[in-house]
Amino acid sequence: MESLIQQIINGLSLGSVYALIAVGYSLVYSILLFSNFAHGGFLVTGGYICYYMLTLTNNNIWVAGALSLIGAGLSAIATERLAYKPIREKTNLTLYLLIASMGMSIVIENFWVIMAGGRFRALPPVIPTYPIRIGSITISFFDILVFLITIAFLTGLEFFLQRTRWGLAIRAAAYDLRVAGLMGVNVNKLISLVFFLAGLLAAVSGIFLSVRYTLYPQLGFITIKAFVAAVVGGLGSLRGAVIGSLILGTAEMLTAGFISSQLRDVVVFGALVVTLLFKPTGLLGKAISEKV
Amino acid sequence: MKDKDNPMLEVRDLKVSYGAIRALLGISLKVTRGEIVCVIGANGAGKSTLMKAIMGEVKRESGEILFEGKPLPPIPYEVVSLGISLVPEGRRVFANLTVYENLLMGAFPRKDRENIKSDLEWVYSLFPRLKERNNQYAGTLSGGEQQMLSIARGLMSRPKILLLDEPSLGLAPLLVKEIFKELKRINQEGVTILLVEQNAKQALNISHRGYVLQTGRIVLEGSSRELLEKEEVVRSYLGETKASREDLKDRTR
Ligand SMILES: Nc1ncnc2c1ncn2[C@@H]1O[C@H](COP(=O)(O)OP(=O)(O)O)[C@@H](O)[C@H]1O
Ligand SMILES: [Mg+2]
Repeated sequence: MESLIQQIINGLSLGSVYALIAVGYSLVYSILLFSNFAHGGFLVTGGYICYYMLTLTNNNIWVAGALSLIGAGLSAIATERLAYKPIREKTNLTLYLLIASMGMSIVIENFWVIMAGGRFRALPPVIPTYPIRIGSITISFFDILVFLITIAFLTGLEFFLQRTRWGLAIRAAAYDLRVAGLMGVNVNKLISLVFFLAGLLAAVSGIFLSVRYTLYPQLGFITIKAFVAAVVGGLGSLRGAVIGSLILGTAEMLTAGFISSQLRDVVVFGALVVTLLFKPTGLLGKAISEKV
Repeated sequence: MKDKDNPMLEVRDLKVSYGAIRALLGISLKVTRGEIVCVIGANGAGKSTLMKAIMGEVKRESGEILFEGKPLPPIPYEVVSLGISLVPEGRRVFANLTVYENLLMGAFPRKDRENIKSDLEWVYSLFPRLKERNNQYAGTLSGGEQQMLSIARGLMSRPKILLLDEPSLGLAPLLVKEIFKELKRINQEGVTILLVEQNAKQALNISHRGYVLQTGRIVLEGSSRELLEKEEVVRSYLGETKASREDLKDRTR
């Protein structure tokens, strides 16, 4: 019983990290309708900025964290301006964007190989990871923190999308980017804003992952699992991305804890196959006909 | 006074191509402040292309588009902020937003945020049904209601000129009549209108002047009254001969 609760908390923490990635990825997908494979690069960029800023600021996680989020957001904007904007101005085919994003994912990864080297780095112990006991249950303080901070960021995003003028514009553009432009929205500015938000959320997850595991240039590969979560939850639906992530994280940790650690990835990709076979639109995905 | 004589919107020898397909072959037209001007043409004549060129959504090959005497930048959001608003073909309401949110989107570029409330009341008075459906998702509205919403949304930016791309498309005749009546009222309340339509009779009935567009060229222009008198000629340009109309009747029977 205790270990079940521990694994569920573990799973929700891992699922939170997936959710931060999946929501940003879904946000971009909902506007430009392509899978941005460079999204993992934003996460790694956030991780490295945090790492270096910690050394510069004498381990001030607040300053380093803030600079990391902003830096990753700006790097996401730069990626869009450099690699995607020239393409989307020439063609409506999103396949080219997809391919460009695969290229950019390699570019960003190798940028960090060159800048930081390929080795694994541990973040200094600025975020507490000690265990805490509640009755007979031992849980990691870090897991609780991850879960709470994720909720704070996702609530903030939801507030922004529901209550502000640009948030409304993003929701409108998610339905019809062209007509959002006809309403007087500067579409390029809106796309930059969306990439900034995606990069920022990715950086939060990048910091968490660096603490949970270690930081290395290929850390972005974990986004594959978040993409799966977004598909399971319903591509383009932010709520779906969160629910899919939490389900996937929990399923993964329960598998690791009670069956076999080797099977955790099988469960993740099994979930993808089952979703694509039985409900391709995902749990909360919009039916295609709705978009016509 | 100068404003009164100069056209508000002027298109000069505009050419637009999509690759090898030449959609507009050099068309010129004018809209004066206070007018309703219609451009009628059959499917594929280039009506939507004309609208998109004015909004800056498609590249102009050559020619000029002047608004209040100055060239229009080919950038949609700048065109909107200058006082031009397009009600796009097929309504294109944001189905995932409520009626209210759709209207707020229409007001997106406005700097005078404090006047938005009174303009909401204005468009509700034009289309009372929208007020009843204020908090409903736009996707749940009927086709006619969506068209009303699309027009109301277009008005929320307080445009000097409202462009409409086939507002009658796919609507029952009675609804078309209702919507065109509202367009006339909107015009009387000070909004200049440029309307493109396939529905020649209805469009000419409410407009002051008209142009007939056939495969990228303007083939006929005049006051709407004149054009209504030449109805058979206009229809022939639209590809609707008497025979084809009877043929259509036979087929729909
Ligand atoms: N995106 C496009 N790519 C290629 N050809 C197009 C495109 N849009 C319109 N056309 C062509 O341009 C011509 C004019 O189209 P359009 O302006 O949509 O006409 P209308 O609105 O009068 O029906 C047509 O021959 C149409 O096939
Ligand atoms: Mg058209």
